[in-house]
Amino acid sequence: MVYLRLIAQFIRASIMEETSYRVNFWINLLHSLLNLTTGVLGVYILFAQIERVNGWGFPAALAVLGVYLTIQALRNLFIGPSLDILAGMDGEVWSGNLDFTLVRPVNIQFLASFRRWHLFALFDLILGLGVLVFAVVRMHEALTLPNIGLFLLTLVAATGILYAILLAFSALVFWSPGVMFTWIFDGVFQLGRYPLGLYPGWVRLALTWIIPVGVITTIPAQALSGDLSMNQLALILLMSVVLVFCASLFFKAALRRYASASS
Amino acid sequence: MNHKGGWALIKSSWLSWMQYRSFFFILAFGWMIPPLIYMLVWSGAAGAGSLGGLTSQEFIAYYLLLILVNQLTYSQTNWTVGDVIRMGSINHWLLRPMPPLYNPLASEVAGKVVTMVFVLPISSVLALVLHPELHTSWDRVGLALLALAFAWLLRFFWGYWLALLAFWTTRADALLALQDSLVFLLAGVVAPVWMLPAGLKAAANGLPFRFMVGFPIEVLMGQVSGQALFIGFGVQTLWAAAAVIISTIVWWLGLRRYAAIGG
Repeated sequence: MVYLRLIAQFIRASIMEETSYRVNFWINLLHSLLNLTTGVLGVYILFAQIERVNGWGFPAALAVLGVYLTIQALRNLFIGPSLDILAGMDGEVWSGNLDFTLVRPVNIQFLASFRRWHLFALFDLILGLGVLVFAVVRMHEALTLPNIGLFLLTLVAATGILYAILLAFSALVFWSPGVMFTWIFDGVFQLGRYPLGLYPGWVRLALTWIIPVGVITTIPAQALSGDLSMNQLALILLMSVVLVFCASLFFKAALRRYASASS
Repeated sequence: MNHKGGWALIKSSWLSWMQYRSFFFILAFGWMIPPLIYMLVWSGAAGAGSLGGLTSQEFIAYYLLLILVNQLTYSQTNWTVGDVIRMGSINHWLLRPMPPLYNPLASEVAGKVVTMVFVLPISSVLALVLHPELHTSWDRVGLALLALAFAWLLRFFWGYWLALLAFWTTRADALLALQDSLVFLLAGVVAPVWMLPAGLKAAANGLPFRFMVGFPIEVLMGQVSGQALFIGFGVQTLWAAAAVIISTIVWWLGLRRYAAIGG
């Protein structure tokens, strides 16, 4: 498994790079705790005013927040840092440094998606899962093995959807190298903090079919608490496979536009 | 005092920033998202009735105003002041024959103009589609504009003195992130301040953050009146004066310590 060995090497290199800036550890810790506090209080303040919104209570909404934090942590673990190298004013597409990436004897999409790791995100992952477990226990749902299995399955599918969207947004840099397209998605992704059911109908439709942020966070949360329907399971699995496939094709097509940078 | 030079600097910054408008549009889009989320969530939760004294149409008005006020008072400038000090390009500020404060003010004005070009049309369209409902009077509009001016003054100088700490530490940006989180929680973004749980509400009324964003909107909507209005303006003025005085002191102390590396 050449690819797994490469990933291990990428992780090692990233650890060496990150540990050379020690103060960053405390800054990262501060950011993680702020993110957790604002997230949890955001849900708590809403449900301090009203007990149920469209059938959603505090623990169920908190579970969705837990999935949101978990997926956000996975995004920051490798997908985000790796793809961000492409875009922006000092990105590889603008500067022409993508030349050096392209000549490597490895699949370019693999390199673009896995080459940089931000291991502090593992801490965020634990926090996210912690919120999720706390919420499910508050719902008085037992954590059964089949539910955990379904949850992990839908979580992988959700990460696939997120990856596909970010890959497609990153591929847009081949048209306009200076623009941070993934930032646009990051804005929309914040809507996933709350259950889809809290939003008006048209937003719900948009977040299911146009930019499936709602699918990414709401369905895994329902899987863990045992509220998952067969339709939802089929939807998230199918969507994940189709989107990853389409995004890969799009990335390949976009790559053909790359003409290096003139010096 | 060379105010003509200052005006030339302001004009040139905003004209050159308009060249990078897509970048600022993406930033502005990101800043609009949290208020938009809470607009949808709260107006949905209010449903056909009311919550915390607001109907769902009034929540829409509140958050549309919040988008504008937040955009007008948010100083993205202060995120770059730290870099200017670290990299030594503050030397240019010091050498020009005009007050150095003109430099951050120039990018502050430029940023406002560029982001408003994006935010104003978007919020007008949202207003047309979502039918906000606002009951106010002309004297409240006047008072709210006054509160808005002080809110800008307070938020700019509060961020400025935090950013100036870069004279001593390379990591002052973390404090700006902390400020953003506190604004989110205590300035009326996550919920209007009068709807916060008691502990948070007490913190919001004493600390400066409510007076950076939420207060002008509360004044406009008539949520503060009589004695509370008087006290509110008093507290806001005190914090704004404190922010100006602290930044002046920090500036002079920092400058004495500054060693002009690089540039």
